Amino acid sequence: MSVDRDPGTPPGSPLGLRIAGFALLGLAAVATYGTFQVSRAAGYSVVGPAVIPLVVSVMLSGLGLVFVVRTTAVPDRDLFEHARAEEAATHWPSVLLLGALLVAYAFALGPLGYIPATALFLPTGARLLGSRHLVRDVVLGLGLALVIYFAFTAVLGLRLPAGVLDPFL
Amino acid sequence: MEVFGDLLNGFATALRPEYLLFAAIGVTLGTLVGVLPGIGPALTVALLLPLTYNDFLDATGAFIMFAGIYYGGMYGGSTTSILLNTPGEAASVVTTIEGFKMAKKGRGGAALATAAIGSFVAGTMSTIAITFVAPAVAQLARVFQPADYFALMVLAFVSVTALVGRSLLRGLLSLSIGLFIGLIGIDLISGQARMTFGVTELRDGLDIVVVAVGLFAVGEALYVASRLRHDDEEIVPVRGKIWMTAEEWARSWKAWIRGALIGFPMGALPAGGADIPTFISYNVEKRLSKHPEDFGHGAIEGVAGPEAANNAAFSGVLVPLLTLGLPTSATAAILLVAFQIYNLRPGPQLFTTSGDLVWALIASLYIGNVMLLALNLPLIRVWIKILSIPRAVLYTGILVFATLGVYSIANSLVDVLIMYVIGVVGFFMRRYDFPVGPVVLGVILGPLMEAQFRRAVQISQGDLSIFVSRPLTLAIFLIAALMLAGPYIPALIARLRGERPSRGRVVVGEGKED
Repeated sequence: MSVDRDPGTPPGSPLGLRIAGFALLGLAAVATYGTFQVSRAAGYSVVGPAVIPLVVSVMLSGLGLVFVVRTTAVPDRDLFEHARAEEAATHWPSVLLLGALLVAYAFALGPLGYIPATALFLPTGARLLGSRHLVRDVVLGLGLALVIYFAFTAVLGLRLPAGVLDPFL
Repeated sequence: MEVFGDLLNGFATALRPEYLLFAAIGVTLGTLVGVLPGIGPALTVALLLPLTYNDFLDATGAFIMFAGIYYGGMYGGSTTSILLNTPGEAASVVTTIEGFKMAKKGRGGAALATAAIGSFVAGTMSTIAITFVAPAVAQLARVFQPADYFALMVLAFVSVTALVGRSLLRGLLSLSIGLFIGLIGIDLISGQARMTFGVTELRDGLDIVVVAVGLFAVGEALYVASRLRHDDEEIVPVRGKIWMTAEEWARSWKAWIRGALIGFPMGALPAGGADIPTFISYNVEKRLSKHPEDFGHGAIEGVAGPEAANNAAFSGVLVPLLTLGLPTSATAAILLVAFQIYNLRPGPQLFTTSGDLVWALIASLYIGNVMLLALNLPLIRVWIKILSIPRAVLYTGILVFATLGVYSIANSLVDVLIMYVIGVVGFFMRRYDFPVGPVVLGVILGPLMEAQFRRAVQISQGDLSIFVSRPLTLAIFLIAALMLAGPYIPALIARLRGERPSRGRVVVGEGKED
C-alpha cells in the first residue's frame, strides 16, 4: 500500500453521500417538528399520541448524525468506494428524462385517457432506455394499453379514464 | 388426529376448480416475476392488493394466489441466478456462486434441475412441518401479552436490520424512515392527525401499495435507467437435457434435506426471512462436501442446499405470520396488509376464527409445490426465453403496471405523484446501498408495534418496568440484543486474542428484497 493518494480518486467524501446525510437530517427535523405539532391535550391515555413520534424523531436524528459523521469525519471507506463506482456508472440524462416522462404520463392519464397516454408512454420510455425498435414498441404499447383497459373496465369492474376516446368507448 | 381432519377439509376447499385456478395463476405469476430480474414477489403482491379492495377476489382465493406468487418467486429466482449470474431475488444470491459456474461449464441443465427438485423436496417437507408446527405455536401464543408482542416486533426489526445487509447503520436508517412513514395519518387511539402538516390527502396515511410500489418498481426502474449504458448482461445458453446424472443425484439429495432442515426453523424464527438460511446452507455444504475443491468452480451441492433452504424458509416465515401476526420479510409484511384488508387478524385466534381459510391456504401450498415442479422442469425452456425480453421494454412495462396499480386504488393523481417521489427516494437508497425491505416492514409493523406498546403500558398503568419484569418479554429482548451484537462477536474475539480482525462485522445477507 502506498502512502500517496491515487490521483484518479477525488479526495474527501462523494458529494452525493454528503447530500444524503443532510437529507436524512432534514427528514429528522421534519419529524421533530411534526412531533411537536401533535396536540397533547387530546383525551386521557397513559401513553399519548406524541410518544412514539418522539422516539422515531430521536432515532432519525441520532442515526442521521452518525451517518453524517461516517461520511465526513470518520469516513466509511467501503461506502465511499461503492458511491464512487455508482457515480462513475450513472448516466444522469436517462434518469432525469425518465423521471420527467413519468410525471408527464401521470398528468396525461386523466385528460388524454388511459389508452392514448399508455400507448405513447411505452414506446417513449423504451426509447429513453435505449430501445431502437420503434415499430415493435409502438405496437406493444398500443396492445398493452388496450388489453389493460378492457381487462380492468370489463372484467374487474374498475374505472380507468377514457379521456379523448370517451365518445368511442 | 385433529390436524388431519382440518387438513383434509383444507384440501376439499383448495381443490375446488376456482381455487385451483387462483393457485395456478399465482405460481405462474410468481415464477414469472422470480425469473425477471429486478422485480419480485413483494412488488407483485403489492401491485395486486388493489384487486382485494373490491369484491372480485374472496379472501381464500386471494391468499392462495398470493402464497403461490411468493412460492413461485422462490422457484423462479434460481433460473436468473444460474443463467444470468444476476439473482432474481435476495434469497437466490448464493445460488449464483456455484450455479453460474455450472452453467458456464455446460451443466446449467443439471443446476436448474437440482434447484427445481430441491425446491420441491424442501417445499413439501416444510409444508408438512407447517401443518404440525403452526397449530402448536398458535396454542403456545395464547399466553402472549401485549408486552411480549411488542418485544417480538422489536426482535423482528432487529433481525431484518442487524443480520441482513452490509451496514447496521443504513439498515436502521431505512427502518426509521419506514417508521416515520407509518406514523403519517390519524392516530387510531387518540384520533389526532400526526405528521400530516395540514395536508388533507395525508390524513388517511400513505397506502402501503403507494410506498411499496414506489420503492420497489419506480426506484428499481430509475436505478436500471441510470446504469443501462454501463452494465452488460450475458445469458448462458443451456445445452443438453434439464436433468441430472446419477452422481449429481447422489450429491444433491442430502444437500436438499439439510437445506430444508436449516431453512424451515430459521424462517420460522422471527429472524429475517429467507436469505440468511441460504448463506448458512452454502457454508454447511462447503464444509461437509466430499469435493470441497469443486466449490467456487460449480459444485452442485452449492446450488442444491441453498435452493432447498430458501423454499423451506418461505414456509417457515408463514409460521410467525399466521400464528403471531408477525411478518419477518417485506413480502410477509404485505401479506399481513392483505389479511387486514379482509378484516382478518393473524394471530393465535386465526386458526379458530378462520380455520377454513388457513387450512385451505396450507393445503394449497402442497398443491402449489406440485404445480411449480411441473412449471419448472418440463417448461423451464419457456422461462429461459423470458430472460431475453429487452431490458428497455421490460422496465417501461414495469412502470406501466406500477402506475396502473397505484392509480387504480382511487384514480388519484396525487397518489401516483407521491409514489414517484417515493420512487426517487428508492433510487437513491439503491445507489447508496440502503436496504429497502426495512422501510416496508417499518411502515406496516410500526403502527402495530405502537398499538401493542400503548396497550402494554395501559395494562401496567404507566409502569414501564412491565417490559423487563415478565420473563418471556425479557427473554425476547435479550435475544434481540444478542442479534444486534452477534455479527460483531467474531471480530471482538479476534481482538481479544490479540489478532487483527479481517473485518469488523459478519455479513450474512445482502438484504436486497424486492
